[in-house]
Amino acid sequence: MIQLSKTKAATTTQAPSLRREHRGLLSILDEIRKNHLILLLAMPAIILIFLLRYIPMFGIVVAFQDFHAETGFLSPWVGFKNFNLLFGSPVIWRLVRNTIMLNVLFLIAETVFSVGIALMLNELGKPLFKKVSQSIMYLPFFMSWTVVAMILYGFFDFEGGMVNSVLRTIGLSPMSFYDKPEWWPVILTTLRVWKGTGSGCILYLAVLVGIDFQLYEAAEIDGASRWQRMRLISLPLLLPTIVLLTLLSIGRIFYGDFGMIYTVVGNNALLYPTTDVIDTYIIRALQTTTNFGMSTAVGLSQSVLGFIAIFGSNWLVKKWSEKRGEDFSLF
Amino acid sequence: MKYTKLSDKLFTAFNYVAVSVFTVLCFVPFYLLVISSITDAQALQVDGYTLWPRKFSLEAYRWVLRGQQVLTGYQVSTFVTIVGTLLSVMLMSGIAYALSSKKLKWRNQLSFYVYFTMIFGGGIIPWFITMRMLGLFDNIWALIVPMLINPWWIFILRNYFNSLPGEIMESAYIDGASDWTILTRIVLPLSTPVLATTALFVAVAYWNDWWHGVILLQFAEFRPLQVLILRVINSIRAIRAAMQMPGGQTLAIGTEQIPAKSIRMAIVMVTIGPIILLYPFVQRYFIKGLTVGSIKG
Repeated sequence: MIQLSKTKAATTTQAPSLRREHRGLLSILDEIRKNHLILLLAMPAIILIFLLRYIPMFGIVVAFQDFHAETGFLSPWVGFKNFNLLFGSPVIWRLVRNTIMLNVLFLIAETVFSVGIALMLNELGKPLFKKVSQSIMYLPFFMSWTVVAMILYGFFDFEGGMVNSVLRTIGLSPMSFYDKPEWWPVILTTLRVWKGTGSGCILYLAVLVGIDFQLYEAAEIDGASRWQRMRLISLPLLLPTIVLLTLLSIGRIFYGDFGMIYTVVGNNALLYPTTDVIDTYIIRALQTTTNFGMSTAVGLSQSVLGFIAIFGSNWLVKKWSEKRGEDFSLF
Repeated sequence: MKYTKLSDKLFTAFNYVAVSVFTVLCFVPFYLLVISSITDAQALQVDGYTLWPRKFSLEAYRWVLRGQQVLTGYQVSTFVTIVGTLLSVMLMSGIAYALSSKKLKWRNQLSFYVYFTMIFGGGIIPWFITMRMLGLFDNIWALIVPMLINPWWIFILRNYFNSLPGEIMESAYIDGASDWTILTRIVLPLSTPVLATTALFVAVAYWNDWWHGVILLQFAEFRPLQVLILRVINSIRAIRAAMQMPGGQTLAIGTEQIPAKSIRMAIVMVTIGPIILLYPFVQRYFIKGLTVGSIKG
C-alpha cells in the first residue's frame, strides 16, 4: 500500500506530452479505439471487482432499512433505528471490549515474537540452519484455521487431550478448557504467535538484510558487543517497519479474527465472555436471525471506527516521530 | 581465527538455542499429528498423544479414504483450487498489465478503482445479499468466483510488470505487435517468478477456504474438505456440550458417535497433505511472496 502511492506519484509525472489533447466524449472514444485490446484484457477483472466489491458497498443502505429478502436493497427506510438498537444492547460493549482486547494482545505478542526471531535469525551465521528453521517456522502459516482447530482439540480435549494426560501423569486434576473463558485469551494469542511468527518475521528480516554492513563494522571497531549492536543498530532501524505494520493493524482493530474464533471456539456460549467478537456476532445474526439491518449497522460502524482509529493513530505517530525529527507515519 | 569475546559467544549460543526451541515448538503439532494418525485408535484413546506410536496402524487412513464424503470433498477442493487459481491468475494478470501499460491514459483512475476496495468494504451482510443476487449460492461457482480477485496480488503483479525493461515492449510495439502478443509473448514469460508466487498463494487460499463453503453452501450435496473438517469438529463439540448438560452423561449419545481421534487426525493429514508434500519444493516462492513488491519501493 505504501509503494502504491509512490509509484502513482512516479507515473503521473511521466510524459504528459505524449497524450493528445481531446475533450469529452471524443477523447473517451479515442482512448477506447487506441487501447481497446488493453481494456479488453482488463475488462473481466473490472467487471468482477464491480460485482463483488462495489455492489456490496451500495448495500450499506441496508443499515438504514428494515430489510426484507423480497425487496432487497430497496427495503423501507428506518433511519438510525438499527444503530439505536445496536448501541442500546448490552452485548455490543462486550463485543467491542473483546475485539479490542484480543487484537491488542495479538498485536503485542506477534510483534514481539516476529521482531525477536528476526533479530536472532539475523545474528546466526549458518545459512543452512537459518533456512531450515525459517521454512519450518513459516509452515503453520499455510494451515487453515479449521485444521488448527482440530489439532488444538486434540491438545485440550477433556478426555484424551495431551495437556490433560500430562496433568494426570504429574498428579494434577485435569482441566476442562472448553468451559474456562479465562484461559482463552492466552490460548488464542499462542495460536496466533504459532501461526504468524514465521511469516511475520520475513518482512523484518528483509529490512535487516538491507542494513549497511559498515554500520556494524564501525560499531565493532568501537568495541560494541553483539548484543549492543543488535540493540543499538538493528532494533532502531526496524522501528519504522514496526510502526508501519502496527499502524496497519490498528486500522483493523475493530475487526475480530473471525476465521480463528469461528473455527477454534465455535458456537461455544461458555466461552463468549472473553472470545465473542464483533464478527462472530454478525455471523450468528446472519445464521440465526433475519435482522440483517442491525448486522449491517455493525459492519458499517466497524468500517467507520476503523477509519477513525487509523487516522487518529497515524496523527499520533506523526506528532511523536516529528519530535524525533523523523516521519514514520503512513500518510 | 578472529578473537571473539566470551559474552559474544554466549550471545550467539543463546540465539541458536532460542531459535531452535521456537522452531521445534512450531514443528511439534505437526509431529504429533502424524504420530497420532498412524496410531491404533484404541491405544490413542488410552494414552493420548504420545511421542512414538505405541501401536502402529493405518486403519484410520483406510477408514477415511473409504468414506465417500472425503473423496467427494477431495474432488471439490481440487477442482476449485485448480480452476480458481488458473482463472484468478489470468484475470489478475490482465488488469495488472493494463495498470502497468504506459499507453493507457486512465491507469491511475483504474488503480484507484482497485485500491479503494482494499480500504473500504460494505461488510459481510451486504456482501452476502449480493452473492445471493448474483446466483453465487449453493453451486460450485460460489466457491470460486468470490475469491477470483485480490487487489493485493494485482498490485504485486503490476509492480513486477512495471519493473520489466520498457524498451523491449516499445520495440515490440514498433514492430507492430499487439498488446495481446506483448502480454503473452513478452511480459508473462519474463514474469514467471511473480506468477508462480501469486499462483501458489492463491492456490493455498482456495485449498484452505472454508468460509465460502460455510456461508454460501446450504443445501448443496457437496462440501469442500475444509468444511468437512469444520463439521466434524462442530459435531464433536455439540456432543460434548450435550454431555456436560445436567443429565447429559446418562444420555445414550455416547462417545462412539465421535470419530476416533486417529480418524480425525487422518482427515487433517489428507487435507494438509498436498501442502506439506509440495512445501519443500515451493517454499522459496512462498518466502519471496511476502517480500516481493513490499520491499522494492
